[in-house]
Amino acid sequence: MNWFGNAPHRGRARALACLAAAALVSLSPLSAQAQEPVKLNFWDMIWGPPEYIDSAKDLVAQFNKEHPDIQVEYRSVPWNNWYQTFVTAISSGTAPDLSTGAGYQAVQLYDQGAIRPIDDVVEELKKDGELADFMPNTVDTLRYDDHYVALPWGIDIRVWFYRKDLLEQAGVKVPTTWDELRAAAKATTKDGRYGVVGSGDTGGSHFLYNALLNNGGGLFTADRKLDFKNERNVEAFEALAGMVADGSVSPASTGYNSDDRRAAFNRGQAAFTLDGPGLIAQAGEQAANIGVVPPLAGMHGDKGTIFWVNNIMVYEQTKHPEQTKTFLKWWSKNQLPLWTKGNSGQLPTRSSIAADDYFKKDAARAYVLEHYVPVGKTTATNAAGIFPALNDLEGEGAMQAFAQELWQGKPVGPIVDTAEARLKSVLKE
Amino acid sequence: MSVRPMLADDTTTWRASAREWLRSGNSLPFLLLAPSIFLMLAVIAYPMLTGFYYGFTSGSLLKFGKFVGFDNYIRLLQSTDFLHALWFSFIFAAFNVIGCFALGLGLALLLNQEVPFRGFFRVALLLPWIVPSIVSIVSWRWMMADQHALFNQIIGLFGGSPVYFLSDEHWAIAAVIAIKIWRSFPFMMLSLLAALQGIDRSLYEAAALDGASRWNQFRYVTMPQLRNISIVLCLLMTIWTVNDFDTPWLLTQGGPANATENLVLLAYRYTFGRNDVGLGSAVSFVTLAILMVLVVILLRRQRER
Repeated sequence: MNWFGNAPHRGRARALACLAAAALVSLSPLSAQAQEPVKLNFWDMIWGPPEYIDSAKDLVAQFNKEHPDIQVEYRSVPWNNWYQTFVTAISSGTAPDLSTGAGYQAVQLYDQGAIRPIDDVVEELKKDGELADFMPNTVDTLRYDDHYVALPWGIDIRVWFYRKDLLEQAGVKVPTTWDELRAAAKATTKDGRYGVVGSGDTGGSHFLYNALLNNGGGLFTADRKLDFKNERNVEAFEALAGMVADGSVSPASTGYNSDDRRAAFNRGQAAFTLDGPGLIAQAGEQAANIGVVPPLAGMHGDKGTIFWVNNIMVYEQTKHPEQTKTFLKWWSKNQLPLWTKGNSGQLPTRSSIAADDYFKKDAARAYVLEHYVPVGKTTATNAAGIFPALNDLEGEGAMQAFAQELWQGKPVGPIVDTAEARLKSVLKE
Repeated sequence: MSVRPMLADDTTTWRASAREWLRSGNSLPFLLLAPSIFLMLAVIAYPMLTGFYYGFTSGSLLKFGKFVGFDNYIRLLQSTDFLHALWFSFIFAAFNVIGCFALGLGLALLLNQEVPFRGFFRVALLLPWIVPSIVSIVSWRWMMADQHALFNQIIGLFGGSPVYFLSDEHWAIAAVIAIKIWRSFPFMMLSLLAALQGIDRSLYEAAALDGASRWNQFRYVTMPQLRNISIVLCLLMTIWTVNDFDTPWLLTQGGPANATENLVLLAYRYTFGRNDVGLGSAVSFVTLAILMVLVVILLRRQRER
């Protein structure tokens, strides 16, 4: 069929047809959509002081400026009831395109069908040579069910801190082993002050995780079965109980929450405490009086502490997976201002960011990055990677109750049995 | 049994009678009530029925679980956590109702007299009720948290050793109850004061003429006059105490070692901490059932009197 009639008219007809087609395309909604930038919702937890939120907003604004075809809306999410916030959003179909989240959030939500794996992103990072920039044990920690479920962005870790003034007054050296810590705690317990101050909240359970991981123990077997009462764990609990029996642990620890504990330590009411790497930065005038204890050698020479690889994840509900991944990669690479301007309490997972002067100038953080992060382990130890049940295990409060009873000076045997029964019930074993 | 199929005539008749009913004045109250009823069904009945169903399933907050019958309820009855929470809820409610009623009544009787600065005290004593729970409970925490806190400084003045109120199970239970009484007594006081002011003065004059002492006037005139409002107040206070989340959560988070964990905290822990919606819903419905039984018993006793 000849659509355009004879030859002389064919050229004009073609030109007219092209014009008409161009007009149609330019007026069609498809074209309007192509011109409009893709909108993404990014929910970010509050990972630092108030200036953190401002720095994150500035960073998002920078991305929007550099990518006019993608516009990201930033929303800061408070930690209070964070789980309910995400679950409600997912179940009502209003989940963000991507969000940051606590250590086990990605695996837990992935297990419930809410998270989109990012294997392709990790593969691209590998090809670009960027994957090597991430610190060891960070990317692979977020591998679950043969998929990468999130990209690491920050490390939270527990570190022993000491009061320089109290150790000096007692004539005690900074401990390097658990035995020395016990002796130093005993020596500094006097005049209404205690060697160690703990807490009875979630932060209290971190003392337990730290002790058992430091002693070469772990909560699980390689096949993710609870292994709570193994020899190393019990030995570690007994070491903590020994300090309580010595009278070196503040009796207020059971009733303290982490803020109370931190305040008591900063007031000089205890010589040692376990906290996150941001403790010194938040200690105000007392900062110069506080030092980081080197990673302690456990009873068998092991070193280790609890750490969480906080991450950034993509949601299944996103309508723009490609643009979301573009933002994810950009954010991961350009997040230095979250520390330099936002004073985030986290440690970076990228070596290039950790190498910045900001961290070199902060001696305590630099020390933690160099000496503690390499020995950091998750609550999943000795299983590979993390898995959803860890969120229930940490959130349910069994370890918290165990810590409270330990600080009260109750015998280790019965309280270990009680905690094990509760953990088995949580893990449905 | 055979069912007669609906005929076209039936539909017409049904529509006609519905139209007639709508036109008549009888339908107006129902039409006016309809939005409220719909709202109540949407925000109370629907979540309640859904929650009741969840109690028979094994799901999490995001994954709808399978039907497990009474498994969650059986697990609860076998759980020491649940039995302890039930016991603590009972102790908490009983001591709080008795404590705040006694304190509220005592202060109401006092403020019903011509005492100096009566107006000031009436307002000042309402403060614990007005101050937001987060402010008041955190302030209490500071006053009792450790050896340097206010209470221990006072104990120290008398030569006593520090008491770690929040670190010992018995002291923590006492502290949670005491703070709840402190937060609750103004409501009792205010309601009882209003009731006291409504008692006919002639009853006291008649009793005095009959030679009744102050105690007998209180026993045979005041108390019978306060009986009905007291039952209602105690009933409300019981419900509010059993459902109280703020006091134990903000003061102890249910610790130490779950000693101050009531049924509401347990339901929260199971649902959001353990991510076991079925078990959490089961705890909530057991709490509801207990409260309903209590309400029925108390209302029946009130009616009998």
